[in-house]
Amino acid sequence: MVDKMICSIEIALKQGLRDAEASSLVTKAKDYFGIQIASARCVHMVTIDSDLKISDLERVRQQIFTNPVTQVSSLSSLDIDFHWCIWIGFRPGVKDNPGATAMEAIEDLLGKRFGQHEGIYTSKRYCLNGKTLTRSQMEKLAKELLSNPIIQQFKIFSSSDWDPKIGADVKPARVILDHTPCFDIIDIDSDHTLAQISDQRNLALNPRDIPIIRNYFLDPDVIADRKQVGLSRPTDVELEYISQARSDHCNHNTFNGIFRYKDILTGEETIEHSLFKTYIQQPTLALKEKKDWVVSVLWDNAGVGAFDEDNHYVITGETHNSPSNMEAYGGAITGIVGVYRDPMGTGLGAKLFMGSFGFCVGDVNYAGPLKPPLHPRRLLDGIIEGVKDGGNKSGVPTTFGQTLFDPGYMGKSLVFVTALGIMPRQVAGRPSHEKKTTPGDLIIMSGGRVGKDGIHGVTASSESYSENTPAGHVQIGDPYTQKKMHDFLLECRDEGLIQFITDNGGGGLSSSIGESAMISNGCVVHLDKVPLKYEGLDMWEIWVSESQERMTIAVKPADLDRFMALSCEHAVESTVIGEYTDTGKLHIMYQGNTCAYVDMDLLDKGFPAWEFDAVWLPPEARGLFEPVIRRPKDFNALMTAMLERPNICSKEWILRQYDHEVQGGSVIKPLVGVNHNIPSDASVTRPVLTGKKGLAFSQTLLPWYSKIDAYHMMTCTIDEAVRRLISVGGSVAHIGGVDNFCWPDIGYDPHTNPDAAFKAAQLVRACRALKDACMAYEIPLLSGKDSMYVDGHLEGAFGERIKVSALETVQFSATSVVADVMRCLTLDPKVPGDFVYVAGITGNELGASEYYDLFGKTGRHIPRVNFTANKILYKTVEKAIQTEMPASCHAIARGGLGIHLALMAMAGELGMQIDLSKVPAAADTLSDDVLLFSESTGRFIITVAPDQKAVFEKLCKGLAVQYVGMVTEKKDGLQIKGTRGDVIVNLSCAALADAFNKPFGDMI
Amino acid sequence: MIQVQALILTGFGLNCDHETALACELAGARSHRVHINALVGRKVKLSDFHMLVFGGGFSWGDDHGAGVIQAVKLKNHIGDDLLSFVAEGKLVIGICNGFQALVNLGLLPGLDHEYTRRSVAITYNDCGNFRDQWVHLKADPDSPCVFTKGIRTADYPVRHGEGKVIADPEVVAALRARHQVVFQYADKQGHPAEGKFPLNPNGSVQDIAGICDPTGNIFGLMPHPEAYNHVTNHPDWTRQKQWQKRRGQTFDTQDTKGIQLFRNGVDCITERFF
Repeated sequence: MVDKMICSIEIALKQGLRDAEASSLVTKAKDYFGIQIASARCVHMVTIDSDLKISDLERVRQQIFTNPVTQVSSLSSLDIDFHWCIWIGFRPGVKDNPGATAMEAIEDLLGKRFGQHEGIYTSKRYCLNGKTLTRSQMEKLAKELLSNPIIQQFKIFSSSDWDPKIGADVKPARVILDHTPCFDIIDIDSDHTLAQISDQRNLALNPRDIPIIRNYFLDPDVIADRKQVGLSRPTDVELEYISQARSDHCNHNTFNGIFRYKDILTGEETIEHSLFKTYIQQPTLALKEKKDWVVSVLWDNAGVGAFDEDNHYVITGETHNSPSNMEAYGGAITGIVGVYRDPMGTGLGAKLFMGSFGFCVGDVNYAGPLKPPLHPRRLLDGIIEGVKDGGNKSGVPTTFGQTLFDPGYMGKSLVFVTALGIMPRQVAGRPSHEKKTTPGDLIIMSGGRVGKDGIHGVTASSESYSENTPAGHVQIGDPYTQKKMHDFLLECRDEGLIQFITDNGGGGLSSSIGESAMISNGCVVHLDKVPLKYEGLDMWEIWVSESQERMTIAVKPADLDRFMALSCEHAVESTVIGEYTDTGKLHIMYQGNTCAYVDMDLLDKGFPAWEFDAVWLPPEARGLFEPVIRRPKDFNALMTAMLERPNICSKEWILRQYDHEVQGGSVIKPLVGVNHNIPSDASVTRPVLTGKKGLAFSQTLLPWYSKIDAYHMMTCTIDEAVRRLISVGGSVAHIGGVDNFCWPDIGYDPHTNPDAAFKAAQLVRACRALKDACMAYEIPLLSGKDSMYVDGHLEGAFGERIKVSALETVQFSATSVVADVMRCLTLDPKVPGDFVYVAGITGNELGASEYYDLFGKTGRHIPRVNFTANKILYKTVEKAIQTEMPASCHAIARGGLGIHLALMAMAGELGMQIDLSKVPAAADTLSDDVLLFSESTGRFIITVAPDQKAVFEKLCKGLAVQYVGMVTEKKDGLQIKGTRGDVIVNLSCAALADAFNKPFGDMI
Repeated sequence: MIQVQALILTGFGLNCDHETALACELAGARSHRVHINALVGRKVKLSDFHMLVFGGGFSWGDDHGAGVIQAVKLKNHIGDDLLSFVAEGKLVIGICNGFQALVNLGLLPGLDHEYTRRSVAITYNDCGNFRDQWVHLKADPDSPCVFTKGIRTADYPVRHGEGKVIADPEVVAALRARHQVVFQYADKQGHPAEGKFPLNPNGSVQDIAGICDPTGNIFGLMPHPEAYNHVTNHPDWTRQKQWQKRRGQTFDTQDTKGIQLFRNGVDCITERFF
């Protein structure tokens, strides 16, 4: 055997070239910690653990790793001066994407194959200069900026520590388990024993499930069956399977649970048997009957709607909260790459055509005593970057996104990711939205390999944080591997090679095979065939590992050769790991021995529903009242203060980092206006480039209203999502919805969760509102998910741990199909001299508004949605847009009329002259601040050309649509006359823009 | 009918292949999306095509330098085929990641008709981040580039983290002198951006957004013409439409400047080979 050699290639930009990575470090060190670094350079390291000859190493160094124009490199350490050097590398087992591509490149160049004990590992070292820098400052940078101990390790060298001959002395981060794979037999002699084992093994079994599980394995018939395959008591593989399948993440126990709801004031008592069935499934199925365009809902990885005569679109939304809180970049990239597998696994497979994001984080400037796992500022940096790499490298445009801030998200931040795909209605002569597994079909796993990563991710995300939460479930998504697989699978689909396809996400093979085998009614799986990242995994680990970028596919034996040939051409690994059967058994083997053998219908064996008490205290019973605020005197200052608020101001720097044009179908972009910097109401995309139809997409988050009543939070959220669609040219006749619930824990515990019943009541109310709004606007819920444990226990100043819970949050996504994209509209006023209208009634509805929040108040007058009136208005606005009457249209949303007039003026870089006394109002007595900042729903600002005025007014006759002013020249700025007749707001476009861009304007 | 055959590379993380294929079709060519492995494995013969398109995306995740591994692989397996393709006077266009691959292959800038030397690099944006933004471009009217004939200015989107073109001063001077700097980032009026951010989104030397080889047959650019395949792609289209309407004009939905660029290539091939 040839001795292996470990060689590190060091690469740096030539002296004098701008080192963006190092500059960013210098800036952040100063901004975040006040550490002054005089200069810095970054050295990239590629550590090769192999037996390559020096001549080969030289060849790869020159041809692959060194750009002759910009870089210098060496097979030993580069001679770069520093006072301090910080080296950062991955921990063993963490996905090293550049390491993997380096290996691929070297294999291709040298025509060699790396063996199992060889590897390539990438790392970095930062060479920092600054005479006053100290070791403790270096540790701070290493720990709080450059690395995360969950996935990375670091070393610090002072100039005197450094031996150039040894350099950073990088050891390969290879995983060595030194363990012979096996499975365990689990003792079930009593409920207590099994409960203990559940705790020890982190199975998170519900105590009420335990007797059912024991009964099954103690059933004489079951025992007799199992004896034939050499099993008696349950194995760890089997219990892991049950644990995954019964987890809240997979089984949605909360939404299928029983709620005893009680209204304290009215005494109303109701039993809710399943929020899912009553408020999601029933209305959606009823609407499916009415709406031809609803194709497939409530069972697949994503919902399916008709797009045009030849194509369907698919949509789903996910959150990836817990992992993102521990390792923001890794969690977020894994989240977006993960949700992108859902359309790929919907029907026979859809091609991704857009995605979106929603970030909810704590105050980025937080300076208080609480210590979240990651400071909100660092967390936001990480999730922005994770979604950037995951989305951009997947070749999917991110056409919409929102970021909001609230102290409650410091306990656990939220990362919403949404994915849309498109697929032909017919694939190789079959309807694309149908699929099934049949006995005899081969089970194939394609894509990435299996490692220890992600084990127990599902059960961990079904728990709220404690200091003992295992960090092992944090992963780093690999969009490159997945993009290859995406392209490969679409070719297989078009050739008719796929019988069934689903992704490996939460629960890994246990979920994907466990669920798909229900259709054929059985399977045999050979776990020893599953390709592994490294040796030594136990059977249960292979079965439940959540290693990313994997799909499970059913293929007919006759199609296997063609499937594998395409797999090879696309450089995707695919392996037959078993077969679907109709034996009624989930049969798992390893090297010929059975390690699991359970009935496919085991999960129907009467597992009990979860139960919750839900006690509703209406706002008045909670002592909420309207704050007393007299009319402000300085509206100019008030308007700019509002525009500067983090939840109102420009977040352009985030949207700019996301490719929102790839695939060439962009019609309405996330940022619009003359300067392309005002957030659009919604996006419109052409997924089929040869057609004229577009897919309008909007998302809304209004968690603040949950402070008063989650019922109205939900109706307002849905109303805004619909309103946004209508503004860009969407149609009331086709609105699809996706609900993503993120809730604090509602399971009662007198010590850890004393107010659970109230939060449970909020959930019941939000679900009732969901149904009410969906039925009123005829919105089928194409998809939806819930994440039920948005709480954190943060260490405070005295070592105490304080529970921080998020506001009850729902992100609602809405879709509409635009018949002709040429009629779409943007929100910017376009021509001076146009007439400005406000449509919809403004009421005294400042409860939980941005305006009240400015003063730290909540209030009680929450906006209420008048579905009937709004629907009539929305249809009218739709008609106006379809007949091209308006020049611009904008939905009034968070912040109210004043803020949204300002956004329009900035977008058009035009003046606007507005008279508040003309605004359609619920009462004559509304004061100027109420008119400007009330967040009443169902309202638009519309501009209309003089020659369209008459027809527009005729169309709107009888509706609350009023002419309120004019679009003027840019020099006139935004001028708003109050109800007393005096000009109360007089601000130039530049002054508005200064305020709007102030908080984050210097971020790029 | 004889038709211009365009090969659009796919696979290994490339991602603009569908719209690039569509743009070529709208320009009159017949598009073929071909996996890099089919080309290097010689299942598909490069010589059967007239135009080779290196499209945008993240080949090999852009790890180890954007477009680097793609260039090494192609050079390693079909380097000679590429050189003969070019020698026959056929056309090559590289967009974004494809431009990065062309400079790493050495097909650009091809100074002194030397097509394997790397003398231009495309590196990290000065702003330190990936950026999606529409840019104004000014074309050199005296450039030999066959793709930009008749195009004086154009708006296309850039979407990259590594788009800053740099080279030794002599190389840059030679490129300017020989009119190989096809596109420069510019302001609305078509004057060069002179390095000003965000008009010049990445800090490219001399505002370089795209360059060609001395023959004008090989062209690389960071902005994406294929992303302007429809009038509604332009960020100002709703305003343009409204203004035209006020002037009593119907909104012009003819070929976009993006399609024009590909049509120039197709026309050149038709003239040259048919």
